[in-house]
Amino acid sequence: MGEYSVLGVGESLLIALSGFLIVFCMLLFLILVIKLISAVVVKIEGTGKQAAPAAAPAAPASAPAAPAKAEEKPSKPWDGKLQLIDCDEETAACIMAIISDETDIPLDELQFRRIAAL
Amino acid sequence: MNFSISAVIGQILGSSGYASLLQEPKTIIMILVAFLLLYMGIGKKFEPLLLVPIAFGILLANLPGSGIAVISEEGHRGLLKIFALGIENEVYPPLIFMGVGAMTDFGPLIARPSSLILGAAAQFGIFTAFLGSMLLCGFPVNVAASIGIIGGADGPTAILVTSRLAAEYLPAISIAAYSYMALIPMIQPPIMKAFTRKKDRAIKMEQLRPVSKTEKIIFPIAVATVVILLLPDTAPLIGMLMLGNLFKESGVTDRLSDTAQNALCNVLSILLGLSVGSMAVAETFLTIQTIMIIAMGLIAFCLSTFGGVIFGDIMCWLTKGKINPLIGSAGVSAVPMAARVSQQVGQKENPSNFLLMHAMGPNVAGVIGSAVAAGFFLTLVPMLL
Repeated sequence: MGEYSVLGVGESLLIALSGFLIVFCMLLFLILVIKLISAVVVKIEGTGKQAAPAAAPAAPASAPAAPAKAEEKPSKPWDGKLQLIDCDEETAACIMAIISDETDIPLDELQFRRIAAL
Repeated sequence: MNFSISAVIGQILGSSGYASLLQEPKTIIMILVAFLLLYMGIGKKFEPLLLVPIAFGILLANLPGSGIAVISEEGHRGLLKIFALGIENEVYPPLIFMGVGAMTDFGPLIARPSSLILGAAAQFGIFTAFLGSMLLCGFPVNVAASIGIIGGADGPTAILVTSRLAAEYLPAISIAAYSYMALIPMIQPPIMKAFTRKKDRAIKMEQLRPVSKTEKIIFPIAVATVVILLLPDTAPLIGMLMLGNLFKESGVTDRLSDTAQNALCNVLSILLGLSVGSMAVAETFLTIQTIMIIAMGLIAFCLSTFGGVIFGDIMCWLTKGKINPLIGSAGVSAVPMAARVSQQVGQKENPSNFLLMHAMGPNVAGVIGSAVAAGFFLTLVPMLL
């Protein structure tokens, strides 16, 4: 087996630069791949969700009265904002972290809409 | 036959390790190094899960006469030499990556893919340290590449690259890599503060969008396919990282995910630590090259942090203040410690700021970035032989 040598300045610079560029290009390419996956998934899942209400009439029309309380709230899409009532952000963050830990559900899969002091 | 107690005691003492210690004072220094690392691991809690087995491996390998870390003339392998087969055959680092993948949530990265730019920028130290190792220290290209990888702040990656390209430097490089990873909370903050503005450090970032389960399942499959097709030498690292993540996200392999995250990862940490430590013997470790490696490793680490922070600044400027530049430093991998440092430094400027989830994106991007950089060196360096 031969031995590796110390490279000259020009060659070393070229390797370092090309290596850094390759890492950048690879990760830029991954950005495109991730965006593509997200776009496709969102479109498919969006289509699925839109198709679901169409099938809804098949469900019993005489729904029980129990859900009435849930219907009190407007069904407008959630805007991703968390409402804090008598609760500072640090406490809210602790509460969210504890719930995530206790339920074993990652934080980004949980939706917190309102945290209020009782 | 004349039997004398004093002769027997003399013979036992003469053939004991104590006598050998006096003959080889360098071994005493190595034992002291082991004690120092044990103190750092246990007393200071610097990466104890790895430093403690590494330090104990150094101790065992340098206690003279045990033969635990050598191959005897008859070909008998000592116990630690058997463990070291996992490094020599590149088994442990990829399996540890599987555990890392099973522990990692790529959600923040999928929610904000631009984090990958910060993960790439934080590999700056790898390539500048590679240059410096050759041009300033006179290391050959294979050793320079292995030293540069320390800047990726990724222990398993550094071990894999070094074991393939410059195995004789493995103890110095792996000890440097893990020591600097442990020192992240001390190394990074001054650089982060020096290259960011106070008002930028206080920026609150918008909440990340929710990422669907389907995206999380497709992600590891797509990344493994795309990256390995381009750089086949990244297969052991990226392949295992993404397999571990698929175990976690698929929802149908919970037992495998649990094993990869816990039992397997713990077993491998013990074997890897002991094996690396057992390679640190006086003849190869107590050299001027080790000091140069440790110095270049620190430079690599600092420059990687610098690269990430500078690109954080650029992204902050491009997005008109929507990105906090502090998350750039998390691009050096070292999951999740580097992200925690971003959180801590950010919170000092603005106590109501929570950057942790935002910093996790560049943090896991850094793992992919350093694996790609490793794949680049593993592909290129053998061509220069």
